[in-house]
Amino acid sequence: MIPALCFDGVTFSYGAVPALEQLSFSIAPGERVALLGRNGAGKSTVVRLVAGIQQPRDGTVWVGDWDTRDCVPEQLAWRVGSLFQHADQQLFAPTVRDDVSFGPRALGVGVREVERRTDHALEDLDLTAHAAHHPYDLPPALRKLAALAGALALEPALLVLDEPTAGLDRALSARVIRALLERSAGGVALLVVTHDLTFAAEALDRGLVLDRGRLECDEPLAGLLGAGPRLEPLGLSPPPVAALSAALDLPDRPVRAADAARALARVARGKGAP
Amino acid sequence: MTRLHPFTLLTIAGALPALAWVLPAPAGAAATAAVALVLTLTPGASPGLTGIGSSPGWRPGLVVLRAALLTAAPFWVFLLLLHDVPTTIAIGLRITTMVASFVWLVAALEPARLVEAMVAAGWSASVAYLFAATLTAVPMLKARAQRIAEAQRCRGLSPRGGIASRLRALRALALPLVLSALHEVDERALALETRGLRPGIRRTTLAPPHDPVVERAARWVLLLACPAALVWRLL
Amino acid sequence: MKSLTLEHASFWYPATEAPALRDVSLEVAQGEIVALVGALGAGASTLLLVAADLAPRVTGGRLTGAVARRDRSGIVLPTPWTQASGMAFTVWDEVAFGPANLGWPAHEIARQVDRALEQLELVPLASRDPATLSGGELQRVIIAAILAMDPGLLLFDEPATELDAAGAQMVWRLMRRLAGEGKAILLATSALDAVPDVADRVVWLEDGAVRAVGAPDLLADVAVCEAGLGTSVATVWRASGLPGPYPPTVAHAVRRWR
Repeated sequence: MIPALCFDGVTFSYGAVPALEQLSFSIAPGERVALLGRNGAGKSTVVRLVAGIQQPRDGTVWVGDWDTRDCVPEQLAWRVGSLFQHADQQLFAPTVRDDVSFGPRALGVGVREVERRTDHALEDLDLTAHAAHHPYDLPPALRKLAALAGALALEPALLVLDEPTAGLDRALSARVIRALLERSAGGVALLVVTHDLTFAAEALDRGLVLDRGRLECDEPLAGLLGAGPRLEPLGLSPPPVAALSAALDLPDRPVRAADAARALARVARGKGAP
Repeated sequence: MTRLHPFTLLTIAGALPALAWVLPAPAGAAATAAVALVLTLTPGASPGLTGIGSSPGWRPGLVVLRAALLTAAPFWVFLLLLHDVPTTIAIGLRITTMVASFVWLVAALEPARLVEAMVAAGWSASVAYLFAATLTAVPMLKARAQRIAEAQRCRGLSPRGGIASRLRALRALALPLVLSALHEVDERALALETRGLRPGIRRTTLAPPHDPVVERAARWVLLLACPAALVWRLL
Repeated sequence: MKSLTLEHASFWYPATEAPALRDVSLEVAQGEIVALVGALGAGASTLLLVAADLAPRVTGGRLTGAVARRDRSGIVLPTPWTQASGMAFTVWDEVAFGPANLGWPAHEIARQVDRALEQLELVPLASRDPATLSGGELQRVIIAAILAMDPGLLLFDEPATELDAAGAQMVWRLMRRLAGEGKAILLATSALDAVPDVADRVVWLEDGAVRAVGAPDLLADVAVCEAGLGTSVATVWRASGLPGPYPPTVAHAVRRWR
């Protein structure tokens, strides 16, 4: 099976400043991957390479069976839905619905299909109530959700998102988590750059950790997020639920809130309530 | 060029177009246009402009010249449509002088130095900042336009195609730029208040630009040259 | 000593019927860190703008009630890039922009700027062009820029959104140090898990009004957890069915567990 995304020995620099060094990994359809690391580790560069805005100096970026060197970003929009930082500045249409439907319309799919994709994206993020509003009448957090809906409406095989929950409160982050889980259940691959390890624990399964442009870790989040001594040198620290599991030595060291609650209840029953 | 005092740069950028309109065409206007275009080749153009929009085949030092020529070109086209050749040349050269002087000014004048110079001369910090902010607007908007263009292309917007699709593309690029910039004007006004920009306080100049007597004299000469040329023409 | 006092403050943005703040009474003492928590739109940002004397003076709108400030205030907005001057060659110049606008003598400016750069661990970046900084680096620069103006009352609106884990930790530690030096700090944040280690008091805002005030273990309170504003640890504890009071942090949970 062809991976949804494959980085093969990718090296990239901004002029003389190296950004990525021999980066190799691949993501299968339906996989949910977190791209983690310090500020400046190269994460946003990866996003730009996947979207085709930049080309690798060495190595190849494969989106499905397309080499990004042979594609322009508007072509890659058929397969990749991207969300960049400050996405709330890209909105322009008179209504949220018009803006969200911009992507599928630009792809040239039929009118009914455009409507279906737009409605689906708006519903996934609970934005239907705001569909007729002007984007700039909404607070920045909801504008960000509208931009994410625009990426979802492309119905791509791969979603690559740069800090989708930055600036969102718990309730709005929960909407994003639900929408992403639902899409990936339908076979969409996810690559999400994030500092929010709590969000990563809930929405994603596998962690790629970059440090100074190199891939330092590629493993399931379930084990990685609780490993304090390994995370610290990489500029990360265990999110609260993972830290709780480790501190209370819960079986299987769950990193998700619901799993931790169940484990906690089980252990408490076992030893009598504290 | 950037070592010159900001007021000198302003004077040159103002005097050249003034002289272009006052001096007889085509010789006078051609001379000022030539001077203005040569200025665009001088080193010291701000990094903000040279980094963006560079295309293969143009050396970095020519970027400012290219910007000036590209901005002036449409005017020549309109003039040709409306006037005969001698009038076109006369007006065209004058407009070229104006455009080239302005483009050069934006490239050569560093906003921070202008603020320092104005405050050292007694202007209030808010007024100085307002002047300087118009200069920083260009590279800032260019950077934002590039970001927006990238985001829209990743949603399938193609910059190619026929007139209709190009117009649609323009809308998808221009509208977010204008809307987000306008939206940010309010936020910026608020944000700059937070940095202490308030009327009535005398701002401290940390590095006032050096203003040698030679330059001050040269400025007066240039300033006086304009009415002098006018008088000469009328007599 | 009270640095900031709000008494029955209500605020309406221009041309808006519903008040953004309703009858808010709040005090922040020197040396104290007060955290504002609430859903988006609950009024935390507005409250900070009122405290900073930016609302209604710059934003327009109407304010009723009393606001008393003892010290000069400095505010770090949630959109730090808007606070950048846009015309500094280096990070040093950017941080010096504010103090220069205040008209301080050059040696005093240098002292404040150097100190602020050290506090935000920005010394290696001091000669960089601010336009080339990442979002996280710029956020730290703006925090330094506001600190360099030596305000007695510090107002932070989501100061860590662009920062990575190490950067966020540094900012929280810095806040505690600043409070130790006698600064009054009012912080609006959605990083609920960090609040118990940073804040002395927590104010829960809902729809522009104060719903509850308390020590940080307020974030482990039943009603707060039900509203989705509890810490992750408290939320997990509650979901497991274990009885209250819920522990707000991992350390509290470990103590309860024994």
